[in-house]
Amino acid sequence: MVKPRLNRRELSARLSLAANARVCDSLTAAYVDSDDSYRIGITGPPGAGKSTLIGRLASTRLLRSDGDLALVVIDPTSAVSGGAVLGDRIRMEAVAGDPRVFIRSLASRSNLDGLAENLSDVLLVFESDGFKEIIVETVGVGQVEYAVRNLVDTMVLVLMPGVGDQVQAMKGGILEKADIYAIHKADLPGTTQLIAALNSVLKQKAPVAGSWAPMIVPTSVDNDESVDQLNAAIEKHRMWTKSSRTMSMVRARRRAYHVGSLVARRVSEVLDELSPEALTLPPAALYEMVILRLRANLPK
Amino acid sequence: MKAGPLRGKRILVAKPGLDGHDIGAKVIAIALRDAGAEVIYTGLRKTPESIAKIAIEEDVDAVGLSILSGSHRELVRDTIRCLADLHGHNVPLFVGGTIPVEDRPELLSLGVRRIFTSEMKLSDVVDSIVAALR
Amino acid sequence: MSQRSELNAVTDDKDLPPPSEFTASGISLPLVAIATDHAPRGEGEPGRAPYTRGIFADGYRGRLWTMRQYAGFGTAEESNQRYKFLLAQGQTGLSVALDLPTQCGYDPTDSLARPEIGKVGVSLSNLSEMETLFEGIDLGGISTSFTINGTAAIIYAMYVACADKQGVPRRKLTGTIQNDILKEYVARGTWIFPVRPSMRLIADTILYSNDETPRFNPISIAGAHVRDAGATAVEEMAYTLANGLAYVDELISRGGNIEKFAKRLSFFFYVHMDFFEEVCKFRAGRRLWARLLQERYKVTDDKALHFRFGVVCGGSSLTAAQPYNNVVRVAVETMAAVLGGAQSIFTAAFDEASQIPTEFSAQLALRTQQIIAYESGISKSVDPLGGSHLVEFLTDKTEGEILKVLTEIDEHGGVVKAIEDGWLQSRIAERAYERKMSVDERRTIVIGVNAFTGKEEVQSGESFRLDPEIAKRVSSRCEVVKEKRDNDAVARALARLSDAASRDNANLLPYLVDCCHTYATVGEMVAELKKLWGGFKEPIRV
Repeated sequence: MVKPRLNRRELSARLSLAANARVCDSLTAAYVDSDDSYRIGITGPPGAGKSTLIGRLASTRLLRSDGDLALVVIDPTSAVSGGAVLGDRIRMEAVAGDPRVFIRSLASRSNLDGLAENLSDVLLVFESDGFKEIIVETVGVGQVEYAVRNLVDTMVLVLMPGVGDQVQAMKGGILEKADIYAIHKADLPGTTQLIAALNSVLKQKAPVAGSWAPMIVPTSVDNDESVDQLNAAIEKHRMWTKSSRTMSMVRARRRAYHVGSLVARRVSEVLDELSPEALTLPPAALYEMVILRLRANLPK
Repeated sequence: MKAGPLRGKRILVAKPGLDGHDIGAKVIAIALRDAGAEVIYTGLRKTPESIAKIAIEEDVDAVGLSILSGSHRELVRDTIRCLADLHGHNVPLFVGGTIPVEDRPELLSLGVRRIFTSEMKLSDVVDSIVAALR
Repeated sequence: MSQRSELNAVTDDKDLPPPSEFTASGISLPLVAIATDHAPRGEGEPGRAPYTRGIFADGYRGRLWTMRQYAGFGTAEESNQRYKFLLAQGQTGLSVALDLPTQCGYDPTDSLARPEIGKVGVSLSNLSEMETLFEGIDLGGISTSFTINGTAAIIYAMYVACADKQGVPRRKLTGTIQNDILKEYVARGTWIFPVRPSMRLIADTILYSNDETPRFNPISIAGAHVRDAGATAVEEMAYTLANGLAYVDELISRGGNIEKFAKRLSFFFYVHMDFFEEVCKFRAGRRLWARLLQERYKVTDDKALHFRFGVVCGGSSLTAAQPYNNVVRVAVETMAAVLGGAQSIFTAAFDEASQIPTEFSAQLALRTQQIIAYESGISKSVDPLGGSHLVEFLTDKTEGEILKVLTEIDEHGGVVKAIEDGWLQSRIAERAYERKMSVDERRTIVIGVNAFTGKEEVQSGESFRLDPEIAKRVSSRCEVVKEKRDNDAVARALARLSDAASRDNANLLPYLVDCCHTYATVGEMVAELKKLWGGFKEPIRV
């Protein structure tokens, strides 16, 4: 039996609940893991033109599928005011008006990851409403992107040529965790060098039998074909994940991440609640105190 | 992090129609952000339909329309209708721009919560929105 | 409290700051300026390069500035009636404001257009509307000014086509189109295509006009709108000069001869309230433009070095509160414009900030100029403030500050790149925010708004109520034209336009004129070009 869809306003309200949930709410919420949905994470330094590319990619994917598409766009919060201007969805005008598309902007707030709190739950809300495909866009490169790596099926890193030695700067981090590298605005000078630098880093990774060989795709929003090629690369990876992973493996990993981030947040909450005197305790004693409080305040 | 008065609130700042003057909208967006709000700014040339869609998808606490082209009556009416079509009839609506005094009662009777002019102090605008959203 | 003591309470604003040492754009002024504060002025002759003191040796005695009046809005027929009335009164210059759909390239039948039809100007979707607008008016005998930018090439082509149909030789046509797309991207918002193809369209229009309608002024490079949006006087002039140089480069790259086209470039600014800053802004602008053209492009013809400009006295320097104060503001600003040597002046009505001007307020705006022209005596000698130590000091300083901003823009890669990146837009938004906070926090005083405020009823006149039937009528007229015309001819003309647009070396104007003659609509011509060029995507960086 097909579950009735929510209307968009109801869905939106549930997304907000999920996005703003406290740890105990998150632990008791009964989101059903979805078997057949597909999640794409797209990340990259600001200024690379990610959002526009994502808009075009989304357009392409809509043409080739029947279902609805969710876009989760994560922008940074201002450290000073706690506010944010969430502007990325504007660049996706191509698809924003399509009734099959639902775009939600999230501020990254104070979560340890830098990632929007409760992103896990937000994605599950979309999936439980029948969205078969979700694209998550994150800002910048770094800690944030490790989290997204854990939550999505395919990870795309968007880089732009001519911006100094990004490869060096990002080595050891997200750079080596992506499945596909989109070299955006590939018509600009520096593309060849960037691709060469990327290749040299990727070759250094010892290939594991049966592992995915990362793909590099030059893209340009003026070139429809290049967007199709990016999409083709994504589809290729998607097929590979189907054949090489089981959903239970994926779910296990995601659950580990989810609960891990909840614990981390709870630790942060506990530390915030402590008195200034408590914080002057020696590390071992403070550690004990935190553990005790974590156990004492287990959610019902 | 100090808690601004609009901390936790999500506010849409929109430019409906063809009016190309976006400075006021950008200034307000900055002021709202500095008061702690998560602001979504739509950019120019948005239809009432797309504004309503954005408002609903983003589950905003308020929608601010910036209109300096004289077409405020039609655009406000159309936006309210489009919001209602998406079950958003009770999303608080604010209007800023060049709204002549004699047009204000009509807008207020349509459900607009507050009307702002460019001479109001930004802090007064923020306070007014805080009060309206309580 | 009695009325008298209320008045006293309001005038006792003790915490108002004393006059600042800085101009509004932040230049530090000496307490008393003396001769050694500035360079000795060796080349200070009006009518001689670099024209600091004025472009004409005989100043206003030779020719008074043009007093511009705004025209209205509404339908082509109503405007036609108004024009005939004004012409009968002796006016020879007509000014046409277009509605937003026409400005942004949408036909009245388009859904985005519907609420905006005829509101801020007249709807001119095709040649038949322009024919109605000028029915019974000899285009060869008048000067027409169009405030049009994104669709300037099209409206200009339509005007030429209209003249063709009246049998008026093109060489007789005179007037202006604003035709300045760069400022649209940062302050006014009636852009259509991405920046580079738009630059081409601007250049094509100017070069075509220079040949076909040599008496026509095909561009008015406007700093006014960035100023109104929040830029300082220095930035206003700097961005304008930068835009001007960008157009010069584009024109040269499309085969234009600078000694010829530069003669028909003109500029347009606001005048705000910091009196000497405004005067010196114009003197510095005049000097800089001439110098830049001489140094960078080796221009030698005097007329090609002339920095001709018009001004608006009003805009965001006026207040909705205590509107009569604006009469004084406009008068002060007009005096600054005259002492700065403007070629044309538009004075705003005092109630412009809150409503459509009434006949009374519009007339008072015009009288302001006339009183200053005929009673004040300040126009009798050329550049009467020249030689004042303060004015020469401030002119030099302003020039220096303008050059700094020009350098910043160059370092960013030029004005076109600055706009494509959104850099210029976010600078202006930041400045606007600073300006607003400065007034909110009373670091900048605005009488009636943050000082000497009083309880008053805001005077309200009529707000413009466009007959809702008009939008329908205009829309259905457009549809009727589309039915009755030869649609095959339209399709062929649009195809030729498209083909020309894909060839970088073709001037698009003849093709646009042809399209207009077939009664193709503005929306259709724009859509055809959009297929090739795409539409502009705003780079939003708040």
